Amino acid sequence: MRTMLITLLLFLAPLSGCLLETEDDGCVSAQGSGGEGPLRILTYDIAAFSDEMLGGFTCNTGYEIELIYADDAGGILELLLQTQQAPQAHVAIGLDNTYLQSAIDFGLLAEHDVNTTHIDPTVMERYSGPFAVPFDQGDVCLNYDEREVDGENLTVPTSLWNLTEPAWKGKTVFPSPLTSSPGRAFMAATVSYFENDEDESTDAFDWWQAMFENGATVTTGWTEAYEIHYSGGYGAWVDGHLGDAALTVSYCHSPGVEAYYSGNWTVSTSLLLPRASFHQIEYGGLVNGGGNVEAANAFLTYLLSEEVNHNMPVNNLMQSVLVNATWPETEGYRYHTDVPEVKADLSTERIGAEMDAWLLAWTHEKNEAEA
Amino acid sequence: MNLASSKRTPFGVHPIQWLVLAFVIALGIGPLSLAFTRLWAVTGITPWEAVTQVYELPAAKDALTFAVLEATVSTVFTVAIGLPLAWAFGRYSWSRMRLKRSLLFLPFVTPPIVAAAGFLALLSPGGIVYALGIDLRGETGIIGWMASATGWEHPGHFIALITAHVWFNLSLVVRFVEPVVAQLDPRWEEQLRLLPAGQTRLGRIQHLWIPILGPATTVAAAYTFFFSFTSFAMVKWLAPASNTLESLLGEMGGTAGIEGYRVEASLAVLGIATFQTVMMLLMLILAGRFERKHSQVLSLHHEEANRRKHGTAPRVWSWFANGLLIMLLAPLVSVVVASFRVRSSNGATAGYEWTFEGWKRAWSGDFSTVPVYDALANSLTYAVITLLVALPLGYAVASSLVTLRREGHRRVAGMLDSLCMLPLSMSAVMVGLGMVAGILRWYPDLFSFPYLPVVPHVMLVLPFVIRLLTPAMERIEPKFAEQASLLSLGPLAFWWHSRGSFLVVPATMAASLCLAFSLGEFGATYLVVRVGSWDSLSIMVDQVASRPKFDPFVLPTAMALATVLMVVTLMVLTVNERARAWRVRHEV
Repeated sequence: MRTMLITLLLFLAPLSGCLLETEDDGCVSAQGSGGEGPLRILTYDIAAFSDEMLGGFTCNTGYEIELIYADDAGGILELLLQTQQAPQAHVAIGLDNTYLQSAIDFGLLAEHDVNTTHIDPTVMERYSGPFAVPFDQGDVCLNYDEREVDGENLTVPTSLWNLTEPAWKGKTVFPSPLTSSPGRAFMAATVSYFENDEDESTDAFDWWQAMFENGATVTTGWTEAYEIHYSGGYGAWVDGHLGDAALTVSYCHSPGVEAYYSGNWTVSTSLLLPRASFHQIEYGGLVNGGGNVEAANAFLTYLLSEEVNHNMPVNNLMQSVLVNATWPETEGYRYHTDVPEVKADLSTERIGAEMDAWLLAWTHEKNEAEA
Repeated sequence: MNLASSKRTPFGVHPIQWLVLAFVIALGIGPLSLAFTRLWAVTGITPWEAVTQVYELPAAKDALTFAVLEATVSTVFTVAIGLPLAWAFGRYSWSRMRLKRSLLFLPFVTPPIVAAAGFLALLSPGGIVYALGIDLRGETGIIGWMASATGWEHPGHFIALITAHVWFNLSLVVRFVEPVVAQLDPRWEEQLRLLPAGQTRLGRIQHLWIPILGPATTVAAAYTFFFSFTSFAMVKWLAPASNTLESLLGEMGGTAGIEGYRVEASLAVLGIATFQTVMMLLMLILAGRFERKHSQVLSLHHEEANRRKHGTAPRVWSWFANGLLIMLLAPLVSVVVASFRVRSSNGATAGYEWTFEGWKRAWSGDFSTVPVYDALANSLTYAVITLLVALPLGYAVASSLVTLRREGHRRVAGMLDSLCMLPLSMSAVMVGLGMVAGILRWYPDLFSFPYLPVVPHVMLVLPFVIRLLTPAMERIEPKFAEQASLLSLGPLAFWWHSRGSFLVVPATMAASLCLAFSLGEFGATYLVVRVGSWDSLSIMVDQVASRPKFDPFVLPTAMALATVLMVVTLMVLTVNERARAWRVRHEV
């Protein structure tokens, strides 16, 4: 045992810190970008940032990379706020359009110098300012299990109010908007939905209160909602699955992803009610005061390159933001992906201005229901 | 070096030792007070005012009720099962004792997310518990009947959580109680049998075993309650409908402490964290008192001679102890199995396949930025540095506490001892926030310091090192120092002959524990700013296991990483047990 441990220690010690060293095979020689050290990227655990992708950037540009992880999009904003006086990263990747305006309002981002002409103009409509560039997108919407919502036990809702009926009691799960970015996006969608419905006497938070009273489960993150509670997703194959909810919040393309990884087979589908989906766009931006501007701009440019961005659906399970981006046809990915026609209509500025109030109202309704 | 004897202060402790004590206490208090100061500044109200507002949060009330309930039940069951096991281990001779002790201790240093994954595998269809007809997860069958008959919401989840807490804390009871049983002078029992009060088994329990084992059991119970009360990952995964105060803090913690942003979250965190810290402190002070009592009643006798006297365990005890060990291993075996099992869920041919693909991905790092060998190297590096820092600090503190007690300053020693235990009372969220707040204020460049994760590791292992070394030092009789002083020895030789040689084994055990705790440590590290290339193995396990698992290879990869972590930890613990065996052989 002792010999094994010592051998293990001796074997592993020299390996420490060898990450991201590039081979000298046709790559630009590694550099620390003007004495500012490696490019420090603040992000969450984005699957697109594989060794291959990051290695490609270092190889093409010579800039070395160091990743700093937050938990999710909200974590990125929080870390930027906490470290505003002493920025720790040069570039932040992963703020979505429910967080972007807050980041801009707090002065956390600096102007970039990235060519955005090849980005889909409809994506740029949401935000085309100088502080962030979009790099992927997807529609957050409700997903349901076709086996449960079979027209007999449960019928496909034609209004969000249907979900407050007794038949749906205890059969829905939502990631909390306080701690989950899809949860936050869907809550924002409900604001738009109820502002545009025919009933002017109720708003989104009346609906949320009715949902809490109808036994809606609230989870900390998307993973718990989709994996543990939702009966129609891959969670059914994961130990500990409960499967007690026939409907949850995910992406309109989640059924496509399910099919892609399961041989063109899925029982999950999207609920495409007008304005009940939220077009989520994820952004990258230079950290204000972070420095290393040249390398940071180079990375954003690389992120928007054809070779990287067109692979988003497979590498990051999100859609590319480039012109003419399409979902892959492989294994029913595109077939099972739904595209809502009428999405929530909320400007980035309005989200930034009102999100705190919405979160307070949502928390209030939840507390009232629990009391 | 016997600093205490070379230069005295009013309390009999050398100034350098006072400095170390002050540093260790500051290391514990620092992040906490920084976090409180930050939250106070952001919310504009004092921690005490915030506590009064906690009761306005229904979630906090529920979390407190649930935490007290599950911690109490966990403690009762842990002691009820652990006490006979410790008694059997201490009284009888066992084959492969070192391995058994290592295996028993493995749950305590297994990262909670690995443990949770193991338990979920046992409880789910295909798992042993489910196969026995007990559906703790889906709550059908007898568990469903129990729920509907009693109106108890999620009894299955509660039972699963209690089982996991018992599994996790059982080694604590064995660690504290077994040595007392093993080292008890057999003449005590023999003499009691001659007295009227010792004629019956009940009488011997009442007049010998309860007074002897009571303090050690109480200490173990206090720590069990403490760890169950602050449970986070186990609650999140095994009882998803419930929260403890710690898991509630974990949900809200990230947003706290930011000026002008979600101030209501800072307010809630301030109130809940203050309340929890006060509770934890009270528990630790109580545990410290019991522990000091426990170290006083230890009656040293050669444990191997004791075991030889009682022989091998009767069959009933053998079945009980070995059966329990097998049950303890079940969740961990599930993790290993899950590293080879991958789902093939394409409708008509749904099922599982067996493959090495998870291991391949873990090795190559396809699903992470750091391949497994880099993460393991990082883990071992942090663990070794933690050991190099924590052991000398722990020695100096333990030495000071022992000196203070010998000099008659027991109250001062008790107070300082409790202060040194402070890091155990802190929520990981507060440690993280304190680190961010403190580092930002004083030395922002520390964010780039690659060994930053060592700081919370040192904070968390120090109380255990102190707890291990203090009783060992107290057992060293002062006459050894007197005898050594008669020889014309240099300071180093004097120290070795009067103290050092007696501490080799406890120090080795403390060192192994430092390594094992650091390897498995997850909470505090995760909340400090995380630089990808610093990722340790326990963080990698959590990182990969938390990813969306559309891709069926994600979970096997996470479980392969967890298996590597378990094997390395087991190796470290085996070294620990070898040290203990050496102590027994050499009667140190």
